Amino acid sequence: MITFKNVSKVYANGTHALTDINMQIEQGEFVFIVGSSGAGKSTFLKLLMCEEQPTEGEIVINDTVITDLPRRKIPFLRRTMGIVFQDFRLIDSMSVYDNVAFAMHVVGATPQEIRRRVPYMLSLVNLQEKAKCRPKELSGGEQQRVGLARALINNPKLIIADEPTGNVDPALSFEIVDLLSEINRRGTTILMVTHEHGLVKHFHRRIVEIQGGRIVADTGKVETSDEAE
Amino acid sequence: MRLSNLRYLLKEGAKNIWTNRTMSIASIAVLVSCLLLTGAAILLSMNIDSAMASVEGSNSIKVYCEQGLPTLKSVQVGEEIMKLDNVKSCELVLKDEAVEEMMDSLGDNGTVLESLLGDENFLPDAYRISMEDLSKYDETAASILAIDGVDQIIDYKDVAEKLTDLDNMVSTAGMWIVLLLSLVSLFIISNTIRVAMFSRRLQISIMKSVGATNWFVRLPFVVEGVLIGLISGLLSSLLLNIVYQNALGALAGINIFDPVDIGPLQGSITLLFVLAGMIFGAVGGMISITRYLHKEGSSFSIF
Repeated sequence: MITFKNVSKVYANGTHALTDINMQIEQGEFVFIVGSSGAGKSTFLKLLMCEEQPTEGEIVINDTVITDLPRRKIPFLRRTMGIVFQDFRLIDSMSVYDNVAFAMHVVGATPQEIRRRVPYMLSLVNLQEKAKCRPKELSGGEQQRVGLARALINNPKLIIADEPTGNVDPALSFEIVDLLSEINRRGTTILMVTHEHGLVKHFHRRIVEIQGGRIVADTGKVETSDEAE
Repeated sequence: MRLSNLRYLLKEGAKNIWTNRTMSIASIAVLVSCLLLTGAAILLSMNIDSAMASVEGSNSIKVYCEQGLPTLKSVQVGEEIMKLDNVKSCELVLKDEAVEEMMDSLGDNGTVLESLLGDENFLPDAYRISMEDLSKYDETAASILAIDGVDQIIDYKDVAEKLTDLDNMVSTAGMWIVLLLSLVSLFIISNTIRVAMFSRRLQISIMKSVGATNWFVRLPFVVEGVLIGLISGLLSSLLLNIVYQNALGALAGINIFDPVDIGPLQGSITLLFVLAGMIFGAVGGMISITRYLHKEGSSFSIF
């Protein structure tokens, strides 16, 4: 699904953010991206979302070479991804329902589609009772679940989660990753950046470690117990 | 784009105006001032044209006899004028009649003037003359001036020329004022939209992250600009009408010229103002959001 071929990124100020990255992620995988601050994780995700272009190499997502993608086509590539932010990024002036529906408006969904899909998605993250609440009335974990519902609403093939547990209680962190695992079981590829070693150890998934702009460790595809079944 | 999407974006644009109401009011005020000044310059120019037409149409000049010339002598002056070839008509305006005419045209102010002057008549006898052939104007005027007892000729050609000069001046000054205010309006509107944009940076970044096209991001801001323009256009055409009608009311007693009636033009003026306002608003909105999107590119800076 995702292929990085000899990808390097050097910023205009001379910083070598990534050097000669080669990796492949299959459809349906769950991958933890770990590494210290400044290791290159952010650049890795920015390249995936076409926010930055690599200096060298090629990135392919679903048979599309995204490094050659014209600017006008970038929004359509992003519609195949869902992004979960560390700081939730919910709009305070909108209700939970509207925060999720908003992402459907952007892709041109009809009001009927929105009315049908948003309640379903909120029930999936167990927030159907809070549809009319404002984000500030929710706990950190609940806010992140709204973020997750928004990321999932357009049925993306890939979820990019940037430290989704960074701003929630440790106990709730497991709940969030459980939810991501559930989504993964339904066939969505998950790419999750995290610092929390406890989580990485607990969930037996593929781990890619980036240090100094290079991949220093990759456990490769892990057969989960579900998949084994 | 689907109709439901368009409705959503229009609603968002209208909501923006309310959210940033202080700046929206400032934009509307500046745009209204600009449109009002434009309208005032156009109306002034139209009225000067009308005054010119009435002066030119009269084809007449006024010949004043010397101050204190006996009436009999004044009549003789008239006979001399009538003898001239190019004179079509020659009508005597006695000084007493002239004073009465003046008092009438001044209305209430005339009564004040009358009480100030008392019985003393400061006007000389005069003749209203029209010519057969205006091209022989200079020779005829010279012959009239040569007649004994004639003091001066009031030449309406001069008045027309002065009115033309005034018209040109109003047009030039109006054009510069409008140009300057247009730039100010564009600046204020684009700043209003920029404020709206900064307050919605989070929303824009989320839009970009879920795959919004630049047009989807841009449209609510353009709608905001267009709505500001629409409100300004309607408001300024209404204000212009009220101010103009009041000005006409104030000038009603003074019959200097026939002012232009804007009643039949009201529809066109409103349409012109609304269109101008909407174009300004759209351009102002477009400038800001395009600059922002160009600067930020496809970024939504999440990390």
